[in-house]
Amino acid sequence: MIAIVGAGPAGLSAAVAAAKLGQQVILIDSSPRLGGQYWRHLPSNWGVGRPPYFAKAQELFDEVLSNPLITRFSNAHVWQAEKKAEQFNLYVVRNGVEEIVKAEKVILATGAYDRALPFPGWDLPGVMTAGAAQSMLKSHGVLVGKKFVIAGTGPFLLPVATGLAAAGAEVVGLYEANNPLRWILNLHGLILNPSKIREGIYFLKKLRSLGIKVHYGKEIQSAVSDGVLVDGKKIECDTVAIGSGFVPELSLAGILGAKLKVGADGTVVVDVDQNQQTSIPGLYAAGESTGIGGSSLAVLEGEIAGSTRKGKRLARWRAQVFATGLQRVYPVSNKWQSALTPQTILCRCEEVSLADIHGAIDELGAQDGRSAKLFTRAGMGLCQGRVCGRNVSEIVACHLSRDLTAEERINTAQRPLAAPISLGELGDGLEKNF
Amino acid sequence: MTSQNNFDAIVIGAGIVGATTSLALTKAGLRVLVLDRGPVAGGTTGAGEGNILVSDKEPGPELELALMSRDLWFELGDDVGDSFELEAKGGVVVSRGDDTALRDFAKRQQSAGVNAQLVDGNELRKLEPHLAPGMNSGAFYPQDSQCQPMLAAAQILKRVRERGGIVKTGTMVTKFVIVSNRVKGVETSEGIFNAPTIVNAAGTWAGEISKLAGSFLPIAPRKGFILVTAPMPQIINHKVYDSDYVANVASGEADLQTSTVVEGTRSGTILIGASRERVGFDGSMNIDVLRRLAAQATSLFPILRDVQLLRAYRGFRPYAPDHLPVIGEDSLIAGLWHSAGHEGAGIGLAPGSARLLTEQITGRSSFMDASPFSPRRFQGGSA
Repeated sequence: MIAIVGAGPAGLSAAVAAAKLGQQVILIDSSPRLGGQYWRHLPSNWGVGRPPYFAKAQELFDEVLSNPLITRFSNAHVWQAEKKAEQFNLYVVRNGVEEIVKAEKVILATGAYDRALPFPGWDLPGVMTAGAAQSMLKSHGVLVGKKFVIAGTGPFLLPVATGLAAAGAEVVGLYEANNPLRWILNLHGLILNPSKIREGIYFLKKLRSLGIKVHYGKEIQSAVSDGVLVDGKKIECDTVAIGSGFVPELSLAGILGAKLKVGADGTVVVDVDQNQQTSIPGLYAAGESTGIGGSSLAVLEGEIAGSTRKGKRLARWRAQVFATGLQRVYPVSNKWQSALTPQTILCRCEEVSLADIHGAIDELGAQDGRSAKLFTRAGMGLCQGRVCGRNVSEIVACHLSRDLTAEERINTAQRPLAAPISLGELGDGLEKNF
Repeated sequence: MTSQNNFDAIVIGAGIVGATTSLALTKAGLRVLVLDRGPVAGGTTGAGEGNILVSDKEPGPELELALMSRDLWFELGDDVGDSFELEAKGGVVVSRGDDTALRDFAKRQQSAGVNAQLVDGNELRKLEPHLAPGMNSGAFYPQDSQCQPMLAAAQILKRVRERGGIVKTGTMVTKFVIVSNRVKGVETSEGIFNAPTIVNAAGTWAGEISKLAGSFLPIAPRKGFILVTAPMPQIINHKVYDSDYVANVASGEADLQTSTVVEGTRSGTILIGASRERVGFDGSMNIDVLRRLAAQATSLFPILRDVQLLRAYRGFRPYAPDHLPVIGEDSLIAGLWHSAGHEGAGIGLAPGSARLLTEQITGRSSFMDASPFSPRRFQGGSA
């Protein structure tokens, strides 16, 4: 039995690859629909032309839904996991009830969440991550605002901006922090992946046809109740969707003891070998959790993890070259820290400001992200530091004029529980003889 | 050697015991250096609930220390300012079946000076309206209190610095300088520091520090988990214990014990402790422990069944074989003093221990007989 956690591009592709080899697969996903964040709920009547990835997504959806070897667990969260005697036990809360999934092989395809950088006013209602705005649209058909500003950095802002506009929103501007000339740093990636050029052209055409203006090298300075400030000029809007790259979701990898490592851009990822196997035998990882690389790389990694086939390694290498080049085109510098004011909230769950963090360092002697968290409660709220953990530790290190260590970065990526569980369900587990 | 490196006393450990001890020594007029290899409150202090309890202690020296310590906490609160969430929250011990043991225990505590009030089912429900039905007897301990222990340690150390003390975190003690069985100082990752008095307040690691000094102290870790729920409106007013908790605290059995302590916090989260395991420094998650804690908490408060568990954390309590803290001078190395092994009661007992140790170091008369806590009970030597 192979258990796959996550039904996005990597998880779907892994499931199909494994089932094609005759393996029994359980595909576990927290959402009711297949697709994960990026392929979530693809509309069957896609408006202005289908996106380039549509065909692959549809192929995998059809295969997963029709292959009798693949069992789907939807609305299911793996909250805890362990490896005992060559077997993995995944503790899954499905539709609110806990059950156990036992498997000899586990593939983690847990994806990533948006990285949001704080700025004055980012805690106002109407400011949200680009992923959240997109997900509200795709899952619920809801436009969270009428007049949008999209800001941050990275190619993911393109599908968000075009998706919102195609659904009827007014997108008054896309503010991309980096200069497009930086693409010169990824020419080799483009040459190796001509499909990416087609994808780029698709989105540029779409931006034009939807009338969305892209402002390069521009960042939001602050947000107020009815707009944002860019270069001292106010741009009116009711909703701001922000995203500066992604943070891989690594809770399960950490719980199972897989080795994590820090990528060149400071992102913490799962360390995997040529077959996508982690440091724990039988535990594999594919997709964004092994490095932010987009859906096409995720599909290839999933296929390799599901089948351990060597044939896709060259294609994966090409896609990895592109992904690494992308990090050079869209770097996230430390510049965001200089825009903060003492009152800027860093942890929105617990309402901890920059001044609170500086106080914890200067007055109470905090020397790292962990003690800053214990003194201020930053990162102790509902999101468990998924939004602010990395930002707070970078601020602490910067305030102490030092670099973050790899160990500190890895610590901010780890969580003892991969998902919440109700106390009732947790206690009832005693009677279930798992 | 510059005079900057000379101190009257060096305290090893920037947890709550090290913090309170260094403040007491500073107030007694000593120039103090605090050393910790990690950050402030990076060990057991940073993994605890902040219990300041008298309810769980048998009449005897530990209870005597706890009662003094509890009063000293509120003096500290006045001195340092209410900056660490100090609160006389009160404890409620609930009996599920035969309440004879609970009643006897409370009565013995009353004669030892504890404010313990026996309550019936109606009174229990007035104290805690959401308790499960069928709990018809308990005891109320208004003295039981609570603080935020990491903030407390940090604020107290801030006070130490304001009064001229030096706090060096990230500084590892690598060697003791000992001349004819008397401490002269320590070598550290940041240089050599001299002092005729060195206090070992290294908590769970106090055994290693003793060994480094050429002595011996049997302090071992006892692992515990705490569950933290999503924030919610206040529904639990006190620290609420299962009466088994008291039996577990005093027990020396190695295998796992769980008995619930449930309480709300200022931030709206609910904390559920406390398990006890002697498994060395194995930090792995024990799913079964989490289940038992959850089952016990929901059987006390069925309303918690739908509350989401947000995180769980673990810590290592430093315990001595007889479950009493070690407070006093080493019997092998002169000038080496210990204040360690407080197990799960370190926050509560810290200011009392600090006072007791400072009185001994400065040669003043002690507020209580300190001999039950002496390291000599493990090290031999004459008292």
